[in-house]
Amino acid sequence: MIERIRSLIPPRKGAAPIVPEKSVAGRTLLLLITIMSFLSAVTLGGVVLVQKSAIAWSSDVGREVTIQIRPVEGEVMESNLRTAVSLAQSTPGVASARALTIEESQALLEPWLGAGLDLTAIEIPRLVVVQLADPVDADIEGLERNLGAINGASLNTHAAWRQQLNTMAGTIVVSGLLVLILIGAATVLAIVFATRGAMATNREIVDVLHYIGASNKFIAGEFQGRFLSIGLQGGLVGTVAALLFFAAVGTAAGGMLSSEAGAQVGVLFGRFALGLAGIIGIAAVVPVIAGLTAITSRVTVRRFLAETS
Amino acid sequence: MIEFSNVGLRYGNGPEILRDLTFSVEPGSFHFLTGPSGAGKTSLLRLLLLSLKPSRGQVTMFGEDVSDLTHDRLLQMRRHIGIVFQEFRLLDHLTTFENVALPLRVLGQPESEYRPNVTELLEWVGLGERMNALPSLLSGGEKQRAAIARAVIARPKVLLADEPTGNVDPDLSSRLVHLFAELNRTLGMTIILATHELPLLDKFNYPRMLLSKGELVIHD
Repeated sequence: MIERIRSLIPPRKGAAPIVPEKSVAGRTLLLLITIMSFLSAVTLGGVVLVQKSAIAWSSDVGREVTIQIRPVEGEVMESNLRTAVSLAQSTPGVASARALTIEESQALLEPWLGAGLDLTAIEIPRLVVVQLADPVDADIEGLERNLGAINGASLNTHAAWRQQLNTMAGTIVVSGLLVLILIGAATVLAIVFATRGAMATNREIVDVLHYIGASNKFIAGEFQGRFLSIGLQGGLVGTVAALLFFAAVGTAAGGMLSSEAGAQVGVLFGRFALGLAGIIGIAAVVPVIAGLTAITSRVTVRRFLAETS
Repeated sequence: MIEFSNVGLRYGNGPEILRDLTFSVEPGSFHFLTGPSGAGKTSLLRLLLLSLKPSRGQVTMFGEDVSDLTHDRLLQMRRHIGIVFQEFRLLDHLTTFENVALPLRVLGQPESEYRPNVTELLEWVGLGERMNALPSLLSGGEKQRAAIARAVIARPKVLLADEPTGNVDPDLSSRLVHLFAELNRTLGMTIILATHELPLLDKFNYPRMLLSKGELVIHD
């Protein structure tokens, strides 16, 4: 497949390359760089998806607080609910407040208790969902203080959940970046070995170039040109493969979202949409890999020449 | 142009390969460098090519003591020296034209600039029809003529040849030396040609430098 893609690239015009194309461990190195590019792009895309989802989750969760009112003997639940809604609505920064109906509250318990149970005989805690207009300016402390007047009322700001979510997302992002660094390091090492191998294979050419007065800079440039070409080809193929991978997974996830399990996946991971920034980030893998390949080979060649001349 | 004064050469801690070499080579001269195998001809050519530094003594080329040269200066001086090897050392993946043009490419000349010169030289050495052939398709004589053309395309002041006739038949050997003689005569190139073929030495009456066991026995 790689050979087929290479054949689509127009041949270079002008003088033939001084370093023969086939002698630079071409096919193996091209495959390796393609794989590394694919892994880098997939890791980067994964990091972008997680970060985007984490920001979206955090933003959604942060815009909502919940007042829970536990049943207390001697207290009238409906009255306490109305008081809580009223207190919430009068709090600065609150957009709306609504008490969940008894049916909605029962629906929330269904996953644990099962469907079809008659819960009217049991007093269950009731919830008031409070939407914040502005999570930063909302007087959450004031609301919490005022709720102290209602027996059995407590406020849940989901702060612990958000913190845990952010920590988890942060860990995934840092791990992803670490993986990217390791992939980069492995790529550099592979290129160093490939370059040294190519130098040894082309020792005759290097000697002839030296004898006819070529500088180390010129020779390094010739090798760099070959490796840059391999880096560009490998980076391009790997990155396009990664973009196709994300497109395929996104399509598959889109199909799943019609089911309940799919909806949960969608809630957890978003819709596998990388967005423009994500696509640009992944596309940037091509020049980065090509540059890394070219620079590494140039440095390796110059070191090799300095050692041998 | 070239002056050696009490030059000695050893590789690492080994014995001296060349001992007490003292001679000078005038501009535009032609010298045969001869001697039995192992006498040190190739080592002396490598000293002349500036790919080795003497262990002792002084080598002066083009008026400069080569022991003090910086890497860049050494590179500049090497561009005034052409070299022809016994085993041709053409790059197999390049055509005859591209091999011959290599020194000019290294100097950064664009193809449009060097193409007429390379074509003219290839025709002069009789390879006008073989310009686009790869070295694997050339005969021994053609390869050596291509190697000579590559060595002289950048108009070096000195042309060194290490057993250039070693891989060709006697008739072709003679024709190749005629080619060197022509370069010496028409371009005024200083030529040092290493060979151990006595018939050639007898046929061409050029000064001889005879090396024996690392010492210069005769220098005409």
